[in-house]
Amino acid sequence: MTALTDSQKLAYVASQAADARVNVELETEGMTLNIGPQHPATHGTLRIIVRLDGELVAGADPVMGYMHRGYEKLTEVRSYPQITTLINRIDWLGSFANEVPFILAAEQLMEIEAPVRARWIRTILHEMSRIANVTLFLGDMGVQLGALTPVFFAFRDREHVLNQIEAVTGGRFHPNFDRIGGLKDDLPKGWIADTKQTMERVRTFCDEVEDLLMGNEIFEARTRGIGIIPPDVGLQFGLSGANIRASGIDWDLRRDNNIGLAYDELDWKVWTHPDGDSFARYWVRLQETREATKIIDQLCDGLPSGPVMAKVPRIIKVPAGEAHVCTENPLGEMAYYLVSQGDLVPFRVKIKSASFNNLSITPWLLKGVYVPDVITILASLYFILGDLDR
Amino acid sequence: MPKIPGLIKGLAVTARTLARTVTKGAVTVQYPHEKEEPVTRARGVIALKEDNCTVCMLCARECPDWCIYIEGHKYLAPPRREGGKPRQKNALDRFDIDYSLCMYCGICVEVCPFEALFWSPEYEYSEPRIADLLHDKERLGEWMETVPDFEPYEAGSEAKPKKVPR
Repeated sequence: MTALTDSQKLAYVASQAADARVNVELETEGMTLNIGPQHPATHGTLRIIVRLDGELVAGADPVMGYMHRGYEKLTEVRSYPQITTLINRIDWLGSFANEVPFILAAEQLMEIEAPVRARWIRTILHEMSRIANVTLFLGDMGVQLGALTPVFFAFRDREHVLNQIEAVTGGRFHPNFDRIGGLKDDLPKGWIADTKQTMERVRTFCDEVEDLLMGNEIFEARTRGIGIIPPDVGLQFGLSGANIRASGIDWDLRRDNNIGLAYDELDWKVWTHPDGDSFARYWVRLQETREATKIIDQLCDGLPSGPVMAKVPRIIKVPAGEAHVCTENPLGEMAYYLVSQGDLVPFRVKIKSASFNNLSITPWLLKGVYVPDVITILASLYFILGDLDR
Repeated sequence: MPKIPGLIKGLAVTARTLARTVTKGAVTVQYPHEKEEPVTRARGVIALKEDNCTVCMLCARECPDWCIYIEGHKYLAPPRREGGKPRQKNALDRFDIDYSLCMYCGICVEVCPFEALFWSPEYEYSEPRIADLLHDKERLGEWMETVPDFEPYEAGSEAKPKKVPR
């Protein structure tokens, strides 16, 4: 091996540096950016690996599973009354809505029908959890765009909704109130009057937020025409809930596939928006919150009297069989596929939650957008990490 | 209608909020100094009425995370009538709830057939050491004083209001 002289070494270094300079001038190297697992914009632990080409996103891969808690396996070793307390924690912002489809599936197998009053109260709480969930989105979307006020308004007025849920169920976040054959308890005195007042507050909040954000130059510039999901692509990825309604598809399980809840007897409307962009998703959810307050007002006015619990055996054994029930949850379609073999515990519970499908579109949707829009698109898709990983 | 710029709108909101906070006070509550009253049904802490407990173990069995520990023994009580047989009774030796594991689901309160467990809305029992969250039956019995009466029901309800044994 020949020894290199100093001048040779210098020449080598200089040529390497020149090569590097040429490379920088001629082409930019791709950069990989990790968004998450700890990131304020992801509401939990989601990691998105974004490959960047300059300021453009060349590809995005969501990595899920950081919040996986094994509920599907846990339900196989817990009895039916114990499962409701577990599945509360799937979508923690709208917890009551998680219980409803599971209980309906178990009722279907046991051939029990809940009394009318129980069905109406269930619908009230189902819509209240929708408001508790979506109001946070309405505020949070502002935060992602740099507007701090809406989120404070959202937390302020959502608190009243949570107080109403707590007053009837005993739990702000985890009601554990739905039972096979009805409800745990009836409403306390004076609750309906308070609820109507709360709904008035929520409507005021919707007006405030609309006044602040809709028409705001920054909000419009950052959301209009950003993250457009065409209807056919949305359907291919299995989007549900407000995300697919914002793409102009008139699809709502509350109206189309109403099992065991009182939506058929009410006067309400499914909102859709033809654009399919971030703005449309925000707008649809805002209108849905208003619609939910109207639904609750109607339910409070016409609440039928009667018992809230059907005759149910003391030890709950669900007969062998299979049931699949899906309902329109705050985030979209939530379904339980319940397989029972006649035991105290289910044989298998398949939980389909909306966030997983709603997030599965991100690799397609984030391709070709700018980095700052990644966060707003993710926020506008609106997923709850507990709902995503279960 | 001419469009108001977002900046002016935002400043108007700030001014309105400032005026409201100055005149009516803030929405937030400064916790240790002022407290909000929890609702009657709030699931704060579980209280035990020891006299009603028959050591049937239903609560311990139904608990989803098995955080209730019960031990008891049988003893012979004197007969009620003259010349009768002595009665067999159950005495509670140990009734612990581990609040570091408890999920506050309320299944134990619900399944108790003898009205020995109740929810109390008290919430201030945090401890610096996690082991101190294990409440024994004396501590659980003390919570019994804080259990509120059940509320009456809303109009149209057919449920019977329950009573708390005092």
